[in-house]
Amino acid sequence: MRYSLTHKTTYRYSSPVAQSHHLMHLTPRQLDRQRIIHHALSVKPQPAARIERQDYFGNSVLLVAIETAHNDLVIDMRSTVEVQPAHTIDVAACRPWERVADAIAARPQAVEIGVAPFLPPTRLTTPTHDIVDYARGSFPQGTPVLAGALDLTRRINEDFTFDATATDVSTPLVEMFAKRAGVCQDFSHLFLACVRALHIPARYVSGYILTHPPPGRPRLAGADASHAWVSVWTPEFGWVDFDPTNNLMPGEEHVVAAYGRDFDDVSPISGILLGGNEHTVTVAVDMVPLG
Amino acid sequence: MGTGAQRHKEIEHTLASGYAPRPGVFDEFVDAAGVVRPHWRPLVEALSVLSPSGLAQRAERINKRVRDIGIANDAFSDPNEADQPWHLDLMPLIFDAATWRELAAGVEQRARLYQAILADIYGPQKLIERGLVPHELVFADRTFLPPCHGIVPPGGHLQFYACDVARGADGRWRVIDSHAETMAGIGFALANRMTHTHVLGGVFRAAGATRLAGYFQSMQDALTTQCGRPDPRMALLTPGPHHSDYFSHAYIARYLGHLLVEGGDMRSVGDHVFLKTLEGLKPIDLIVRCVEGAFADPLELDPRGGLGCVGLVEAVRKTPNLVVNALGTAIVENRGFGGYLARLSEELLGEPLALWEAPRWWLGDAKARDLVLAEPGRFVIRAAQEGTGRPGRAELGRKLADGEASAFANLKGTIEMFGARLVAEEPVGFATTPALAGHGAGYAANGHAAGVNGAGVNGAGVNGAGAGLVAEPYAVRLFACATPGGFIVMPGGLAMTVDDQRAVALSAARAQTRDVWVLGEGGETPFKSLWRPAIETAAIERSQRALQSRVADNLFWLGRYAERADWLMRVLRSSLNRLEEEAAAANNGLQSARRSLARILARDAKAATIDPAATDAAAVLAMAGLLLDGTSGYGLPGTLDALHRTASQTRDRLSLEVWRTLNTLRGEALRFEFNPTAGVGDVLDRIDEGLAGIAAFNGLMHENMTRNFGWSFIDMGRRLERGFSLCEAIDAMFTNRIEPAQETPALIYLLEVGDSFITYRSRYRLDPMLHLVLDLLLLDETNPRSLAYQLAALSRHLESLPQAKQGTVLPEERRLALALRTAIQLSEVADLSKVADRRQLGSLMHYQLETLPSLSDAITRRYFSLTDDAPKRVIMRTEPSP
Repeated sequence: MRYSLTHKTTYRYSSPVAQSHHLMHLTPRQLDRQRIIHHALSVKPQPAARIERQDYFGNSVLLVAIETAHNDLVIDMRSTVEVQPAHTIDVAACRPWERVADAIAARPQAVEIGVAPFLPPTRLTTPTHDIVDYARGSFPQGTPVLAGALDLTRRINEDFTFDATATDVSTPLVEMFAKRAGVCQDFSHLFLACVRALHIPARYVSGYILTHPPPGRPRLAGADASHAWVSVWTPEFGWVDFDPTNNLMPGEEHVVAAYGRDFDDVSPISGILLGGNEHTVTVAVDMVPLG
Repeated sequence: MGTGAQRHKEIEHTLASGYAPRPGVFDEFVDAAGVVRPHWRPLVEALSVLSPSGLAQRAERINKRVRDIGIANDAFSDPNEADQPWHLDLMPLIFDAATWRELAAGVEQRARLYQAILADIYGPQKLIERGLVPHELVFADRTFLPPCHGIVPPGGHLQFYACDVARGADGRWRVIDSHAETMAGIGFALANRMTHTHVLGGVFRAAGATRLAGYFQSMQDALTTQCGRPDPRMALLTPGPHHSDYFSHAYIARYLGHLLVEGGDMRSVGDHVFLKTLEGLKPIDLIVRCVEGAFADPLELDPRGGLGCVGLVEAVRKTPNLVVNALGTAIVENRGFGGYLARLSEELLGEPLALWEAPRWWLGDAKARDLVLAEPGRFVIRAAQEGTGRPGRAELGRKLADGEASAFANLKGTIEMFGARLVAEEPVGFATTPALAGHGAGYAANGHAAGVNGAGVNGAGVNGAGAGLVAEPYAVRLFACATPGGFIVMPGGLAMTVDDQRAVALSAARAQTRDVWVLGEGGETPFKSLWRPAIETAAIERSQRALQSRVADNLFWLGRYAERADWLMRVLRSSLNRLEEEAAAANNGLQSARRSLARILARDAKAATIDPAATDAAAVLAMAGLLLDGTSGYGLPGTLDALHRTASQTRDRLSLEVWRTLNTLRGEALRFEFNPTAGVGDVLDRIDEGLAGIAAFNGLMHENMTRNFGWSFIDMGRRLERGFSLCEAIDAMFTNRIEPAQETPALIYLLEVGDSFITYRSRYRLDPMLHLVLDLLLLDETNPRSLAYQLAALSRHLESLPQAKQGTVLPEERRLALALRTAIQLSEVADLSKVADRRQLGSLMHYQLETLPSLSDAITRRYFSLTDDAPKRVIMRTEPSP
């Protein structure tokens, strides 16, 4: 499937911003089953410096510095992306979860193939005793890794309510876990905390998802959103994606922007401002199938 | 031939008698037979000619100096805290040439080894790929900074390295910790040396101990070479005065002539990092990083970090040697590396590891976990990565990051979950070295070692002055620095008494420290002072060493607080003096004292509790009590503490003498619980001492500070405050009705407070008269205590500052200063002193009292505004539709 993908973010500040720096992970990744046909990322006002590079995890990063005073900032990403369907995977056809750690220990080149950084817990995915107990619910002894991961995906979807007001960007995992509510970012962090506590490597995926209008209604422009899900590594299949927010294994309707250890590594746009006082932000994401 | 032996015996008898090392434990001072080792003899000989009280005297001189220069207290520790956390022993630790060569070679090898490991971790990562460094050791450690991967500083990641070493009880050297993040408290070691040689310099030279100046000269040369241009602008980046190492940062910055900067002083524009100064942004050539790497750039590194500046990582990508040590070097401080170093040394250097690591196991390794869980009592479990703190403050026991321990209460659970971030250590015991008992000899005094050292303690008791020697377990921090010719090791160090009962670290409940002497290192480096004379001249200061906006701000307030304290003490002295004389004369100016004290306390709610019907004497006593008991924010102890705090924030700009003076002026010294019945004589004595202290401070600043912009800001602060206080006093005393009989006492009081009594007497030889006094205190520009003089000085300073000229329009602060000065110049003393009508005096005073604060605000806006608000972080989270 081919998509036209746009992601436009507009900041309005109540007083002028004298200087600002922004770090963006907004460029979709070139992958085996994801091809970038066209990509453009514009920033207004014109940045004094604009630096594009790859980060440690292979993501495209854009760093901009704006040195002119401004009241508005517009970051506009436009891409055309082609996504192939995912291979069907038999989640039972992989080793028991207990033996993943052995596989990594036996293959120190895990570093070379980029798995090792995703094994230890991070600041945003530090487990607690309760979280480990919760994780074990999906991983009884001998459970194949991916079968456990799929079950965990289902349980998080069932046990947790999607509620954008329940948490914000700084809500700690424990608090979100206690509330049993959050957004896709929180569900992904919980998933990562669970499986990493069992010494299974997993990464945070930032990207986009196609949304379907209610039956009989037309697509609304700008109503889509950026999204987050996870990816679990096994020696048998490499990285396999799970979307706990939607209880599914991503296929043709997910576009990957960046991989990281947690949100801190791949935040779509983060910025540091001098001045600006209050700000409002409007985000419009459109993922339109081109056929 | 008998005389030599005889003599040694005598020496040992006098100084070392009663010295009792622990049985079976290696001791630096005496050998197994109890004979003083040869390299200690010059010291022992020199000290043995002293009586026990002479020794005690010298020990006390050292510690007085420790207090004076402020190593003793953290800058922001509670000034009322009586204890002295830093203690410097009269007894140094002495290394002979052979021991030193072994140690220095080992430290140099360690530095090279870590340099090579860092080059790999932030480069090809082959060591991890090959399993020579376990991947979890690196990736579970948050000091590994992925954004810094691929940055290759031409001279390597490490500029500075420090190594904590200890001899085990068996006499064998082991490394107990490595410091690769910052300079690791080298300023403490330097300050100890300076302090110690102040007292024992003669002995130091006679013993042939090696100086440190050569090391620091080489360090300075290496840093300058890094910058690639002569006279570069080098900045030492500190987290600020709240940090426990701040003394060290300020001390070493001052010694090396680096600017002491905080994150807020810097701004990145484009690929460069600039210093915010009075003259605008100035590029920085080199940043000596004394902040944690993870917190150095909130944009690319830990989002919670504000110790560096936004854009620093990108600036470093463009100029990889901009920051030393490079960002991310803390990773090799991870104690978990210990078990892998021997192999790494063979692989990377082709050399056997010279200095062994203390027995330590990384719990990310399954075999190590089994070992520890089988015999948990044998080990101490600690965080593998701790970060750098003040020497001696290593964390002990099971302190884990982020409350992890509480989540997994039992050891097994914790180790299984977070083993990759833990190490297990096996205590090895520590060799001992002598300390002079009875002078803060911590462990003997605390009873930790009293059982073992009973003889030593008794010996001290016997000779009365407590000047015997006791054996204390110790560890020592050694420092290395990269130069174009390789790493060099500082011929000295920082030795501390350690708590040998607990972990394997430079950890001590009390910072009981000693200087480290290295003997016989041949060709002594000739003394070279780092104070290049050029730095001292105002011309170079003005053109090259720009003043940070933040520092200007602090200096301005330093001037204000010093003057405010001075004024308060004058008012209190004059007021309390009148209480003493009360019995003698009825009209002695107590009313004036009451009015001026009430004005100072006008904004303090507690002053309202004073009965308006009270007699003048009772009210003066009550108000003086409020200003002295430490409860009022407008009082003397609070003002002196603010003065001290402000000074500590600009410590690198102040001379040692200034700092010593200020240390005698802390709030505690002038805080009184007022007892009305006891009289005020004692209080007056101490206020006189306080005034002498402020006078010394002012005199030192006046005589020693170059007349650069820094001076201008201190002096402007002082002038503004003095002008304001004088106007307040005149307004309080004279613009309200005053009975004729009260006028003369009031004028005398005002002349005293305004420090112009003698000038008046020498000029007029008359009883004070209002018009003459007002002329002297308000209008006379030649009287350094007059308002006119303050305003003239303010105008002069403002004209000399950068940004003062802006085309034809006068900037706001100069306009205000001109208006204030003109108002005084246009005043006629006859109008101001009309007997029946004080409206003119009142309106002039009110105008001044309203406009002086505006002038202060205008100066703040103009010169300190680059100290902008903390940058704000904006993060967008992903909020998809469900």
